[in-house]
Amino acid sequence: MTLARAVRIAIVVAMLGLVVTLALAFRRDPHDIRTGTIGKPAPAFTAERLDGGGTLSLSDYTGKVVVVNFFASWCLPCTQENPALVRVYERYRGSDVVMLGVVYQESRDSALSYVKRMGISWPALADDDGRVALSYGVFGPPETFFIGPDGVIAGRHIGPIDEGTLITGIEALRREATR
Amino acid sequence: MTARIVIAAALLAIAATLVLAARPHEATADERVDRITAELRCPVCQGLSVKDSPSETARQMRDLVAERVREGKTDAEIEAEFRTAYGDWVLLSPPIASWSGLVWLAPLAAVAAGVVLATGRVRGGAAVASAEPSAAERAALRERVAREEAAEG
Repeated sequence: MTLARAVRIAIVVAMLGLVVTLALAFRRDPHDIRTGTIGKPAPAFTAERLDGGGTLSLSDYTGKVVVVNFFASWCLPCTQENPALVRVYERYRGSDVVMLGVVYQESRDSALSYVKRMGISWPALADDDGRVALSYGVFGPPETFFIGPDGVIAGRHIGPIDEGTLITGIEALRREATR
Repeated sequence: MTARIVIAAALLAIAATLVLAARPHEATADERVDRITAELRCPVCQGLSVKDSPSETARQMRDLVAERVREGKTDAEIEAEFRTAYGDWVLLSPPIASWSGLVWLAPLAAVAAGVVLATGRVRGGAAVASAEPSAAERAALRERVAREEAAEG
């Protein structure tokens, strides 16, 4: 086989590879972007509660399924997804599932007012310097992370989340925990 | 004579200035912050570095980089922290030793493939141009020339 022929074959193989890669990429849900944090231990954090109830650490919930939701009152999709979050929180209230809200680039007063108005009764945490959001690689609210009982980030949802996606993510982690 | 001395002294002065300017020096904390943030992509912008972006997210990232520099972390450690959170995407120049590093390799591979194909074509063309006619072709040509001469004659 001549070199030129080998190059032609290589080009065809490369084009096929490109087509397969694009086909796989276009089939992926754009809300479920696998960035660096997926499959790795969730970054630890300690943050102050908006309601003045002291501080809260992620490590307080080791062994539980934790849903961390980044939100802001200025974010319209956050208000759209909030009813789903409220329903799912009520569904798992008192169970091995914990929901935490982290305020994204907003003053505490404004965020607290939103929390009260929207009926958010799970802990809402301040992140004044954005360190929690940066450690999770947040692009912008709303973003929701699913953390397993082993403390590893199992999933991430970018954009407004619905009830079905929340329950599916939570139940998958609960099933894993009981294995 | 005097002119030569002046020129030599001027050349020496220029050389000394260049050597002094080019000598390696310890980067200040601010220079390091600028250098690192110039390499980081702002997550909420279109193709802007963290250094150049006026966004709140970029400001928070700059503050974090400055804090890590103060803590004595190396540039690589600081970049690694952001890569862990955002992936290689957060670097404006993707590292060569990664999947995204293929973007560096692909153009080189494409140029190499083009050179090989073009060389093959040129050689093939030259081979055709320089090829001697076969015995049958020669006989056919002689026959044609003889036929045309007979027709003219």
